[in-house]
Amino acid sequence: MTLGIFLRHLRRESRGSRGRLVFFVACLAAGVASVVAVAGFSEGLDRGIRSEAKTLLAADLAVRGRQPIPVGVEAAIDKIAGAERTGVREMLTLVAAGQAPEEADNQHPSRSLLVELKGIDGRYPFYGELELEPSTDLDVLLNDRSAVVAPEVLTRLGLGVGDEMRIGGESFEIRGVVKREPDRITGAMSLGPRVLVSAAGLDRANLEQLGSRVNYRTLVRLPAERDGDIDTIVAELAGLLETDGRHRIETYTEAQPALRKGLRRVSSYLGLAALLSLLIGGLGVAQTVRAWLAGRMDSIAVLKCLGYRPREILWLYLGQTAVLGSIGSLVGVGLGIGLQMSITRLLAGALPVEHLEMWQPWSWSRGLILGVGVALLASLPPLVAAMRVPPIRVLRRDADPMPPSRLAVSGVGLALLSSLIGLATWQAGSFVVGLLFTGGLIVVAMVLGLAALGLARVATRPRERSRLWLRHGLAALDRPGASTVAGIVALGLGVLALLTMFLVEYGLSAELARDLPKDAPTAFLVDIQKDQWPGVETLLRDEQADQIESVPMVMARITAIDGRQASELRQEIEAEVETRRPGRDNREAWALRREQRLTYLDELPADNQLIAGELWGQPDVAEISVEEEFAGELGVVLGSVVTLDIQGVELDLTVTSLRKVDWGSFGINFFLVVEPGVLDDAPQTRVAAARLPEGREQQVQDRLASNFPNVTMIRTREVLEKVAAMLTQLALGVRLLGGLTVLAGLTILAGAVSAGSIRRGAEVALLKTLGMTRRQVMASFATEYALVGLVAGLIGTVGGAVLAYFVLTQGMDVTWENRPWWLVGSVAATVVLAVSSGLAASVGALRKRPIEVLRSVTG
Amino acid sequence: MTIPRLEIRRLTHRLPSGGRLLTILDAIDLSIGAGESVAILGPSGSGKSTLLALMAGLDRPTEGEVLLDGEPIHNLSEDRLAILRRRNVGFVFQNFQLLTNQTARENILLPLELASDEAAGTRADELLDQVGLADRGHHYPVQLSGGEQQRVALARAFATRPRILLADEPTGNLDGATGERVLELLADLQRQEGTTVVLVTHDASVAELTDRAVHLRDGRVERDEVVAGGDRVGYQRQVVAG
Repeated sequence: MTLGIFLRHLRRESRGSRGRLVFFVACLAAGVASVVAVAGFSEGLDRGIRSEAKTLLAADLAVRGRQPIPVGVEAAIDKIAGAERTGVREMLTLVAAGQAPEEADNQHPSRSLLVELKGIDGRYPFYGELELEPSTDLDVLLNDRSAVVAPEVLTRLGLGVGDEMRIGGESFEIRGVVKREPDRITGAMSLGPRVLVSAAGLDRANLEQLGSRVNYRTLVRLPAERDGDIDTIVAELAGLLETDGRHRIETYTEAQPALRKGLRRVSSYLGLAALLSLLIGGLGVAQTVRAWLAGRMDSIAVLKCLGYRPREILWLYLGQTAVLGSIGSLVGVGLGIGLQMSITRLLAGALPVEHLEMWQPWSWSRGLILGVGVALLASLPPLVAAMRVPPIRVLRRDADPMPPSRLAVSGVGLALLSSLIGLATWQAGSFVVGLLFTGGLIVVAMVLGLAALGLARVATRPRERSRLWLRHGLAALDRPGASTVAGIVALGLGVLALLTMFLVEYGLSAELARDLPKDAPTAFLVDIQKDQWPGVETLLRDEQADQIESVPMVMARITAIDGRQASELRQEIEAEVETRRPGRDNREAWALRREQRLTYLDELPADNQLIAGELWGQPDVAEISVEEEFAGELGVVLGSVVTLDIQGVELDLTVTSLRKVDWGSFGINFFLVVEPGVLDDAPQTRVAAARLPEGREQQVQDRLASNFPNVTMIRTREVLEKVAAMLTQLALGVRLLGGLTVLAGLTILAGAVSAGSIRRGAEVALLKTLGMTRRQVMASFATEYALVGLVAGLIGTVGGAVLAYFVLTQGMDVTWENRPWWLVGSVAATVVLAVSSGLAASVGALRKRPIEVLRSVTG
Repeated sequence: MTIPRLEIRRLTHRLPSGGRLLTILDAIDLSIGAGESVAILGPSGSGKSTLLALMAGLDRPTEGEVLLDGEPIHNLSEDRLAILRRRNVGFVFQNFQLLTNQTARENILLPLELASDEAAGTRADELLDQVGLADRGHHYPVQLSGGEQQRVALARAFATRPRILLADEPTGNLDGATGERVLELLADLQRQEGTTVVLVTHDASVAELTDRAVHLRDGRVERDEVVAGGDRVGYQRQVVAG
């Protein structure tokens, strides 16, 4: 047959089936819409998060270190076409109000303040917003004689814009106020308010001297087209760095671990949801194609009589499926875009993304490919069955189908299996997950199939004394041609998918809501001298602050672990890291190098959980408790001895417990906690956290500045509000998408059940002809559907709960809560759904006079 | 010796029924010459429709052989059978079996297109004209009367000039006058095309219009006789080469 003739036949054969196939398009469109919306939404979200991450870094990548960034690295950056670079130097220094010393009044020294000074050389920031007052560009305000300062500097020093201040003994004019820096959130524990100067200004202040602690950073902005190459670029630059770990490269892809964890959960859930909604769509398609072909059997037999070869029949209907699949998928893509737009509108302003990109051809093609693919796959089994329609059916309607070809059966099986694994891998982004998903699906389908066979066998044991409708309903489960097995498998899988999605979605939203740091502190106070604390605490209480928490803080350096010098360990770790991940940062070595903040406590705060050992249980040794991940980085275990250098005094501490810390609580937490009594006399300050009434922050800050000028207050309300809003909206988004998928799935399932019922018109007519009342017919049908619903519901529910349990606890690290009533509800809902949709589909046939139906069937 | 158009040797067909095998046809021998018109008669369940199906390769016999122009067809693959049917066999059924979603003309076009007939359109129009439905070609089966539908079916069956035409109760669903008109048409077409016709019926009066009547009973040939008045309406024994 030529292509032209094939296409002509395709067009003609599609007539008359169009009305019936509306459901096909609807099923697929619903599934594809979810895929497109989910893919588009997560793609948009992902882009948003990445740009947010860039904001937190103010760049695509940053090279940082305690020493100037090597010239070779900067030269390499300059060679990347289209890349931009900004040098940033940061240091802690004291600034003072007033003019240069010779002009100041020595009797009344002007107030001084510890600030975080930042010298900028070039465009800043590359990402995110630097909020200035007056609102203009930073380089307009900065020259070598001017500075821009945080509001706290003005309050604490009693200065205003236009006044002079001293930095490193040189005079600088305050030209503006910096209200927000994009990359300052990362260092929530800062030691002083910000002062921004130009690179020339910093040089003029002459603060960069031998031994001064300066943080050097080179911020890099890559051209958009190189975004995908970031890992290559990082590897290239890292190759130019000394392997002593003095410099590290950070990229936006590794920003904010806590935030990323939450978002990873969400995107893995969204991928799963799309996968499941697709599966449900596929079930609907399979059912529709089955019902559609059941109505085309006579035509197929005629076509075969006229000389159509079996494979031409397959192509003819496969072609139609492809056309319908494309239509359904296109409709789905349209719906998906609409869905995505409404979600975005609904969440406007609350997402971590200001503008969710709508132009996403990749998501659309994904929807199209998946839609057509699933349509073809789902229709393959019924289509292959259609090949077996015997041509003799034109003479004898009850003729048996032709025997299945072993080749066709195994071919279809193989095609289904490999495509399913392929699609699942694609959606989940992991071959292992794809394989597990497919394997699980097959196991569940087999369990459902076996249960269906068992039900058919058990239910049809003769019960002569039972009522006629009950007997008839039970017998219907095992009648020749009954779709008990297919129905139970489809419905059971649907229930499983829906329940999994529902449970996962609920568990996840609950977890996201729980993650909201409702009681998180809104201000941190640092540098409080030991004797100042009572006064500071009273001040806080006066201002109605609550949840006041304060701990001592001691600065120390790790000098040895188990008797081995830190420098030696560092080299060892660096060598190992180099072989494992050449060129990447070596956090482990860094942990040994940097100065550690530690505290001593009697009891652990609520957000700490002891996971190994015992807290302060050994009276004969000085004990230390280590956070579990940090312990891994240091390579310490219970019993290890950590030697600390506290301002020149060495101290051996034995690790006697390991802790897990919920960093999401935003409380004051430390990697290292020492037993009380050991550090009591060490040089120390206190840090405090408190939740201040909204709007009181400024007043508290002013009072602190006048009474305790050395105490620095860091406000975190803004950060918290941003994170809280984002988490709330993410939870809402997840719920919305999940809800829509569940809704679409329910419609499809109802359709799937009723697709089988339509064929039963003749049976109704016959039963009525034989004298069954309508009520009896309905009762008999209800019995049958209720049993189908019960078995499918039970297995689907158990399977769904097990799957959700693993997805939540293993895949997403979310706590599982038992909700037995939900499971009971799920089974009950399945029974109700099966009975109501089955009966609803039989209403037409029940209403008709028997003769109308019988005539149309036999005629 | 001339090779018969259709030859059936020891044809046996059994079907499973209620756990045992039911013999539908029992070692039938039959030979039909080219251009011959044969009626197969018998009561319900005598096996006449099964015999027709086996002749067309719509089903496979349990035992025995079916030869078309000397070539065995009973052991051909489904694909070969389909190709054989598209070129050599035409069908007419009691319930017309027109494709309901295609117009009258498209129904006639279908076998022509399958046989890659380049003049399919012209031939379809010609046939529509011959069966008196030139102006109804764009109508769907549901818009046609039973007689008209059967005329379309006849046109479709003769479209590819098949070597053999098999008709199963072609007038079974039609009233007397319409049935007669359809039979006249069938005879006209057969005469023009020189087609071999095998017609299954339980109506003895229909059989009277053919050259030969084969009576089946319980799966066996009970009687095989030449119909005396076979040429009254034009059915006549004639040998057509090829």
